[in-house]
Amino acid sequence: MNADFVTVLWKEWKEIVMERSAGSNGSSLRPLILIAVFGIFFPVRMGPERFFSAAGLLAPTFFSAIVITAVIADSFAGERERHTLETLLASRLSDRSILLGKIAACMAYGWLISIACILAGAITVNIVNWHGQILLYHDSASWLLLLLGPPLLGGAVATAGVLVSLHATTVRQAQQTLSVGFAVVLIGTIFGSSMLPKDWQEWFARILFTWSQAELVLAAAVVILAIDFALLAAGMARFQRARLVLD
Amino acid sequence: MAEPAIRALGLTRTFATLRALDDLNIEVPIGSVFGFLGPNGAGKTTTIRLLLGLIEPTSGSAQVLGFDTRTQGAEIRARTGALLEHSGLYERLSAEDNLRFYGRVAHMPKAQLDQRIQELLTHLGLWDRRKEAVVKWSRGMKQKLAIARPLLHRPGLVFLDEPTAGLDPVAAASLREDLAALAARQGATIFLTTHNMAEAEKLCSLVAVIRQGKLLAVGSPGDLRSRGEGQRTEIAGRGFSDVMLAALRQQAGVSQAFVENGRLILVLEDGAGVAPLISLIVREGGEVQEVRSGQGSLEDVFLTLMEEEK
Repeated sequence: MNADFVTVLWKEWKEIVMERSAGSNGSSLRPLILIAVFGIFFPVRMGPERFFSAAGLLAPTFFSAIVITAVIADSFAGERERHTLETLLASRLSDRSILLGKIAACMAYGWLISIACILAGAITVNIVNWHGQILLYHDSASWLLLLLGPPLLGGAVATAGVLVSLHATTVRQAQQTLSVGFAVVLIGTIFGSSMLPKDWQEWFARILFTWSQAELVLAAAVVILAIDFALLAAGMARFQRARLVLD
Repeated sequence: MAEPAIRALGLTRTFATLRALDDLNIEVPIGSVFGFLGPNGAGKTTTIRLLLGLIEPTSGSAQVLGFDTRTQGAEIRARTGALLEHSGLYERLSAEDNLRFYGRVAHMPKAQLDQRIQELLTHLGLWDRRKEAVVKWSRGMKQKLAIARPLLHRPGLVFLDEPTAGLDPVAAASLREDLAALAARQGATIFLTTHNMAEAEKLCSLVAVIRQGKLLAVGSPGDLRSRGEGQRTEIAGRGFSDVMLAALRQQAGVSQAFVENGRLILVLEDGAGVAPLISLIVREGGEVQEVRSGQGSLEDVFLTLMEEEK
């Protein structure tokens, strides 16, 4: 299982990198543009105080999720579109190694881009604000968010993306479904909170004002981890070779 | 007696109201090249999917290399190679990476995999271009690579679904040569679907003919040819009149007499002589330039079977 997982991860990673470096539609420039915007432009505007804080890390964390959306849509729908899926399914690979290998490769790609942005940002902020001392994240909440944010949120996006891609006819269809889905989740989160019962709103407000930032990050991490596992279980349940072959 | 590589018993698969495969009974001996012939939509691809355990039969059963397709699909897929309807190549990747991926999937040790990749790509004349992305290759080159892929880990059984479909005649002939050489060298059982009769005749030791999911005939190409319409004699010349054709049809041993593409075709019962018929043609004012006798080709048998089932 482990060897098969690594094999799928290796293939997926190569495909992502080759696709991104092919550059026929400008895709090779996208990661560089993103790193320039989130790793140079925004950090300079934010300044050291905001950049080296938990709030400053929210942007690259969400940003890694967006990057994953772009590649995860291709995971199964792309294989179906390019007629490679049936051959893959006719191999000895287990369902689990195919599914996990694809998810892991997309997560790794998103995580790598977000780390590149954060590193570029840290270097930029240090250069612009150089006073003879290296500036770094200084609170536990920031470090927790830095370590847990991109992989956990990326995991949620990747598993949700695989669920959509499994039965999408084309990559475009998968991307559109994912975009609409995330828009609904985002709008629902923003406006849905005001529709909650008053007791619940007060409970949430109390948590927000009484818990430390580190506690809030950990609580969010637990919730997202639970979502990750639920989505992964749903993905495993929907992965049926016969259905995928005949779709 | 050795277990066959494939045994299907009453294998049936329906999709909604369509019976894609209807009560298929076949045995494919180990080491044979088995041709599964039929027109488009005959049920060939469905059969391969069933035999690989990718889909379940509606009724009936099949064993592949001794494993049940319903419950042991993973075991079957681990011991077989398959070139399905599409080449299944990752076109963004290089030829070497495509083979490396499937070699790793088959758990081949690295040294053995490196050696095997070199051996196959060299044999197919692709070694010098192994680092190129497959997307830049011609269709013929891609198809050669696609055939190398299922042979990579030397499986005991290889499924090849229309391996020469869509290729020009030169590329198809070259690919057939390669396939025959590889099959002979490897000694694997090959289950080959095609609607190219010349391909089946050249490569297969056993053939089965299928149409609309139903098995029409099984046997060696020679057996099937002899099961055909009898001895066929083609006469090139001119002056083949209707009166002459009527006279020929009344002769003992003549099953059929007709003109096709300007040639007179006589289908004779076994043992019937051609010489008296040539005399008759000349007497009736015909001119004979060339006479060619022999059994009908596999294609003739195939077309006859298709006609009978309509």
